[in-house]
Amino acid sequence: MSRIRIPIGPQHPLLKEPLSFLLTLEGEQVVQSDLRIGYVHRGIERLSQTRSYIQNVHLFERVCGICSHVHTTTFCMGVEALSGLSVPLRGLYLRTFLCELERIHSHLLWLGVLSKNMGFDTIFMYAWRDREVVMDLMEELSGGRVSHAANVIGGVRVDINDAQRLTMTQNLNTLSKKITSLRNIIDHEQSFHARTRGVGILTEEQIRQYCIVGPIARASNIDVDLRRDVPYGIYDKLTFSVIARSEGDVWSRTMLRIQETQESINLCLQILDSLPPGPVAVPAKRRVPPGEVICRTEAPRGELFYYIRSDGSDHPARVKIRTPSLTALAILPDQLKSINMADVSAIVSGVDLCIACADR
Amino acid sequence: MDWIIAIFKLLIFPGFGFLFACAIFSEWFDRRLIARFQGRIGPPIFQPLADFLKLLGKEDLLPTGVNEKTMAALPIISMAACLTAAMYIPVAGTSAFAFEGDLIVVLFLLSLPSLLYFLAGWSSIGAYSIVGGNRALLQFFSYEVPFLMALSGPAILSRSWTISEIVVQQTVTVWGILVQPVGFLLAMIGLIGKLKRDPLDIPKAKSETVAGPLTEFSGRKLAIWHLANQIQTVTGIFLLVNVFLGGGVLNQLLPTTFLFFFLALLILIILSLTSAMYARLRIDQFARLGWKRLIPLSLLQITFIVWMGRG
Repeated sequence: MSRIRIPIGPQHPLLKEPLSFLLTLEGEQVVQSDLRIGYVHRGIERLSQTRSYIQNVHLFERVCGICSHVHTTTFCMGVEALSGLSVPLRGLYLRTFLCELERIHSHLLWLGVLSKNMGFDTIFMYAWRDREVVMDLMEELSGGRVSHAANVIGGVRVDINDAQRLTMTQNLNTLSKKITSLRNIIDHEQSFHARTRGVGILTEEQIRQYCIVGPIARASNIDVDLRRDVPYGIYDKLTFSVIARSEGDVWSRTMLRIQETQESINLCLQILDSLPPGPVAVPAKRRVPPGEVICRTEAPRGELFYYIRSDGSDHPARVKIRTPSLTALAILPDQLKSINMADVSAIVSGVDLCIACADR
Repeated sequence: MDWIIAIFKLLIFPGFGFLFACAIFSEWFDRRLIARFQGRIGPPIFQPLADFLKLLGKEDLLPTGVNEKTMAALPIISMAACLTAAMYIPVAGTSAFAFEGDLIVVLFLLSLPSLLYFLAGWSSIGAYSIVGGNRALLQFFSYEVPFLMALSGPAILSRSWTISEIVVQQTVTVWGILVQPVGFLLAMIGLIGKLKRDPLDIPKAKSETVAGPLTEFSGRKLAIWHLANQIQTVTGIFLLVNVFLGGGVLNQLLPTTFLFFFLALLILIILSLTSAMYARLRIDQFARLGWKRLIPLSLLQITFIVWMGRG
């Protein structure tokens, strides 16, 4: 049978961000796929060397739109470690609160995108309608729905009073019920199962070989979550369970992310419940003492890794970011061999790529 | 004066004018209902007309190397097939023209748009169009056979291949759906596949093949394709109402009209509901469904009808 080459991207309805696949099809079977990245490379690591630490907080928020807060959290954690600053407890609580809100919004966004790419527009509309509750919470907290500018070196710049705490708790409880009903729909919808079960299976062996992290690893029986294993911020003071599943297909990644969303809502309620009084930030000096630090956090897509080296001035000497989507991208060409063309959309959406993170 | 009446029937009622109005209304109703199911508001009543007019005014580009005459002819033939089929389908009890055996002609005419859809993909020579066209053809083979067999059930029961006759027989006995519910279900699935609606919009799956066979069409040609698809929707719904739901025929004209359009709206509601409820099937899953489940079901239905008709 003759071979057809289909380009997926750089602009394609399937992708949120530019990425280029060239699929070689024989009939409906994909026999080969070639990947090109770099369409959204902005040179952020180089730019960070020309800016001060305070300006860099603003810069690193813009690595990614969906997980913006966790990038600044990781960077600020690193600089605070280098400067020997200790963030007050209330600041840490609020920082973690926004991190978990971001996890919820990212997973709901991803659920909508996966459903839309599988032709199930209804779940897309429901998930994004429920996501609006989270966006409103984030706007209430920081003034911005998507980019919050909540972190400063030494703490956070946002705060809430008791009335806001109450309304946020109520909204989160409502959201929890909605997520449960969304989960029920997906549990029982046969056409959703037909498109996601047994599709895009990744074995434990492949995950370890490619160093994949995050929900994709946890869906293939690798139980690793930095919030529990290497607790940062106040995660050692909160109780939550890490979800791990063993099927390794798109279906188990979907269920895992929904369960993680429910866990995150619980975490947010715990944080709101036990918010301590006090200041939210300590003042930070412009110059950071020389040294190097490695900082890791659990972003919605997996382990986020920052290496910061300072030379004593107020500009960082080197900041190196390793985002979780980079590892997921590495395995994609392998995953897209000998599958049905229609599974391409389920697999590419199921991996939850954030190309802006990967390209920086 | 015969020819004036004929022109009226062709252009006004139940011809082009009436079908155009029904197409606009059915698209609006469909989009509005799906939006409400999804928690949105949905477009206002004039939206489909505005879309059509906007498309008419857009630039009409074609890629280099395609046969321009073919590309221009395909949507027009597709619409012509749907309009001609509508001439033989009774609306509220009376059809424009009717003759012995017109059900077969209608079924043939209604299967043309799917084949022309594949041809559109083939002539567009782009990768997305060809893949979409292949899927369209595969899907056609999977739903068309059950659809035809489901629709021959009422014909066998009424001992006639004329749609008007089938309607009359149903007023004398019972509605087709009560005797052959499985046939009605198969006809609905066939209709969803024919109209390429969710969950069977596999050829034009936006996330995989951008717009399938119609990727390279724009402007006037795309407007006519879209209108042809809507008229095919209306025609298909009217056909199903006549063949399975007795054409809504009651004793007098006014109740008949109300019942006919009410039943047509009911079928449209079922189509919108299934669009909102399911995820898109994969083409091999649908082919398997068609050949493993739908065709045996339709064979069973036909056997049952023949056995019943003997007695």
